Amino acid sequence: MSAFAGAIQIIGGLALAPLLPGSIQALKARLQGRRGPSPLQPYRELRRLWGKTLVDPQRTTVVYRLAPCLVAAAMILALFLVPIADLSPDWPLGNDAIVLVGLLALARFALAAASWDTGSGFALMGSSRDLTLSVFAEALLVLALILAAAPAGSTDLVAMSAATSGSAIWGEPAHWCAAAAFVLVVLVETGRQPIDNPDTHLELTMIHEGPLLEYAGRDLALLEWSAAARHWIFLLLAAELYLPHWGGFGVQLACLLAGVAALCAALALTETAQAKMRILRAPALLAGGSLLALVGLVSWLVG
Amino acid sequence: MGLTLLVTGALAPLAPRTLRAAIALQAAGIALLGTGGALVLFGAPAFGVAFRGSLDPGLGVDGLTGFFLATLALVAVPAVFYSRGYLAGVPRSRALVGLFGLFLVALVGVVMARDPSSFLACWELMTLAPAATILVRRSDADVRHAVFAYLAVTHLGGAGVWICVLALAHYGAMSEPAALAAQGAGVQALIIVAAIVGFGTKAGLMPLHSWLPRAHPVAPSHVSALMSGVMIKVALYGLIRVLFEWAGPAPLWAGLVVLGLGLLSALGGVLYALTQRDLKRLLAFSSIENVGIVALSLGASILFASEGDATWAAIAFAAALLHVLNHAVFKALLFLAAGVFERAVGSLELDRIGGLLRRMPWTGGAFLIGSMAIAGVPPLNGFASEWLTLQALIHVALGPSLGLGLAGALAAAGLVATAALAVFCFVKVVGLVLLGTPRRAEVETAVEAPAAMWAAPVFLAGCCIALGAAPGLLIPSLMKLAPQPRSLTPGPGLSIPGTGSLPSPWLLLGLLALSGALWRLRGSRRTAPTPAWACGQRIEPSLSWSSAGFTKPLRLVLESVLRPRREIEAVRHRGQLRSIRYRGEIPHLFDSLLYGPVRRGALAGALVARRLQSGSVRAYTAYLLALLLGLLVAVRIGAIG
Repeated sequence: MSAFAGAIQIIGGLALAPLLPGSIQALKARLQGRRGPSPLQPYRELRRLWGKTLVDPQRTTVVYRLAPCLVAAAMILALFLVPIADLSPDWPLGNDAIVLVGLLALARFALAAASWDTGSGFALMGSSRDLTLSVFAEALLVLALILAAAPAGSTDLVAMSAATSGSAIWGEPAHWCAAAAFVLVVLVETGRQPIDNPDTHLELTMIHEGPLLEYAGRDLALLEWSAAARHWIFLLLAAELYLPHWGGFGVQLACLLAGVAALCAALALTETAQAKMRILRAPALLAGGSLLALVGLVSWLVG
Repeated sequence: MGLTLLVTGALAPLAPRTLRAAIALQAAGIALLGTGGALVLFGAPAFGVAFRGSLDPGLGVDGLTGFFLATLALVAVPAVFYSRGYLAGVPRSRALVGLFGLFLVALVGVVMARDPSSFLACWELMTLAPAATILVRRSDADVRHAVFAYLAVTHLGGAGVWICVLALAHYGAMSEPAALAAQGAGVQALIIVAAIVGFGTKAGLMPLHSWLPRAHPVAPSHVSALMSGVMIKVALYGLIRVLFEWAGPAPLWAGLVVLGLGLLSALGGVLYALTQRDLKRLLAFSSIENVGIVALSLGASILFASEGDATWAAIAFAAALLHVLNHAVFKALLFLAAGVFERAVGSLELDRIGGLLRRMPWTGGAFLIGSMAIAGVPPLNGFASEWLTLQALIHVALGPSLGLGLAGALAAAGLVATAALAVFCFVKVVGLVLLGTPRRAEVETAVEAPAAMWAAPVFLAGCCIALGAAPGLLIPSLMKLAPQPRSLTPGPGLSIPGTGSLPSPWLLLGLLALSGALWRLRGSRRTAPTPAWACGQRIEPSLSWSSAGFTKPLRLVLESVLRPRREIEAVRHRGQLRSIRYRGEIPHLFDSLLYGPVRRGALAGALVARRLQSGSVRAYTAYLLALLLGLLVAVRIGAIG
């Protein structure tokens, strides 16, 4: 059974990740009364980019060329860390939540260094905003992970997912706080509104799109896939740690699917209803989330 | 044996034409000592005398000393070899080599001393030797001021070390730790506070750090490497001895104080590092951050011990030592590489370098690896120790009591924010120093330094990778040094109960294999290079991003904390705007809000005190009379006698 879970974990992650941003876009278009692209559009984009030649801006070094490979490699390793419904084969890579945070930091470092290598103002603007938000987002992420780790007493994602299953956990106010805090993490890390706008190609407002601006061809394909993989990783984590799930593997898998689908719908709905907020307001929002997580921790420690 | 070689190496430059021999002797001596230390750390029996409270000098090596000796050797050997290239053609190089040897002797002496007198003697020597080195190299007014600040602050704080060590010797606690317990909590509290102030000043813990960002940047690079890499860690060695051995087990409040100071240093250090404009000053601030991270795990270890969780106390203790070693390696690397850059391009003002990776591939590559390690990204060594520290803090947060749990959660969130800020800071450094286009004529023509100089940073970069791949080989030995030793399943990675484990060798292999495979897949079919997009404009040097521009969003968000100052001045001539001058800076708030008032208060107090010294015999007679009367009154009312 765990081999099957492992197969979904890796093959599913590699192949299905682009479906998530695609379906969010499709659903958003419907909600806005447009016909919009099909949910499969990201795959077509990837195929188109894969056939194009690479472009290196003048005077860039190996740092620029290696960054997309390093980012995608970090994301693939991250796929190995996130189990499917508290089952994961014994990869030698373990399932630690904090290692996952580290791999995301590595991806961020590589992409920001590549922005410096191009020297392009738009890339640097995007990276500097991304790094500013990451300070607050990572603190919030770890606080939310501490709350999810509390029932299991471990930061092993398999144990965390097992300990948060069932309905008893929802009697804890701490878990409600954790779920609310993680919503903000999902918004930042997937780069969706109201924090960032994935549709914008107006240079002055973009965050995650900025560092991608100079890339072309297969480099861009790798980076686009990595952005989709971030959706996959964070929505999966949200569904299996912070949303209701219970039962054996089959039921868990169904819960997971339903959870991810519901989260995609929620993201599409938020993007329709909510405008992008001023970037300097976002840290205050994230700090509010951290406060909520601390309140949750107090209730857990008292209870 | 090793010590003899080292001392000979320090003295040899006094004779003419022996500089090379002296350098070789120093390297051999410190390498021998380091090997001996490593052997003791990995299980050989301790040698030399045991700790004693009496004043006869004695030296010895036990596990903790062995660990610090090995750390010192790992950094000092490359630094010694580097100094040969670095000092070539520098005036007064003989004195510099001799003083460097003296500095090494002092560092070795502090960790090997087994009695209060030699400990304090070596401690003072350790403070003075770098000051002398700095003054021999340069002695303009700025440098003299920096050295004065360094000596003043470390000596004022150093009083704490004297109080603490002499009190410990007085109560016989150095040889028999139980002796202090009989004296009650008051004496223990006094000693712990004195130790935190004394050793904390030297370690650069905020708010006692003021000397560090002044003194480290002005020293020659190989001395800065040792000051930042090892000297401040030797101060932590003293703190560890006091808190965990001589005055141990430390009470709960001491753990909270150390944790709080660590959090302040980590966040404050990295925030100020982020806003620096000079590379060496930035590295000095980042040392404060890393000392803070070590203090976080020391604090966590005390908290675990006071809650009775010996396993996690030992893990947190090992995390602190691992970060000591890791920081020594990558900070030395960065300072040595900064010295090479300084040689090649002159000033190290961050906004005016750029593009060195192409021109100096060896040093630049090592610097890139060192920056990634210090930023704490996997699979390098900085991540391993920060991961372990964070796990310790998370387990404090999960602990049963509410107060400690909250403290642990705040510290964990603070540590993660520190790590994110360190990524921000060192991406900026890498970008401004190594990448992009050269920003000055000197940088255009820079060439790689001779192999004697780049070999040291490259060797240390190799250590960063090796320590990142297999921290698990070291952790069991480090856990044995904790007051209540615990063991761990050995292996190259870290598999610790209560975590999802850090399989660092697989992480490294996985990243290498996957990025290699993707690199092959990516192919090399490319079009001719094009300029980067700037809305159709030509990319001009004036468009290139500065350090201040890159950190602007964070500066705006943290405006109330950092309180940046900016002045805009428009120059008009007959009502016509001629030019606009802009000046912006981030003032160091500890200087303006804490040290400034203290300094002004001290000066005002000195003025008052000076009025007492009028020089008139009649006034002094009056003082004597007043003292006599006062004593008589005191005797009369029974206060004394």
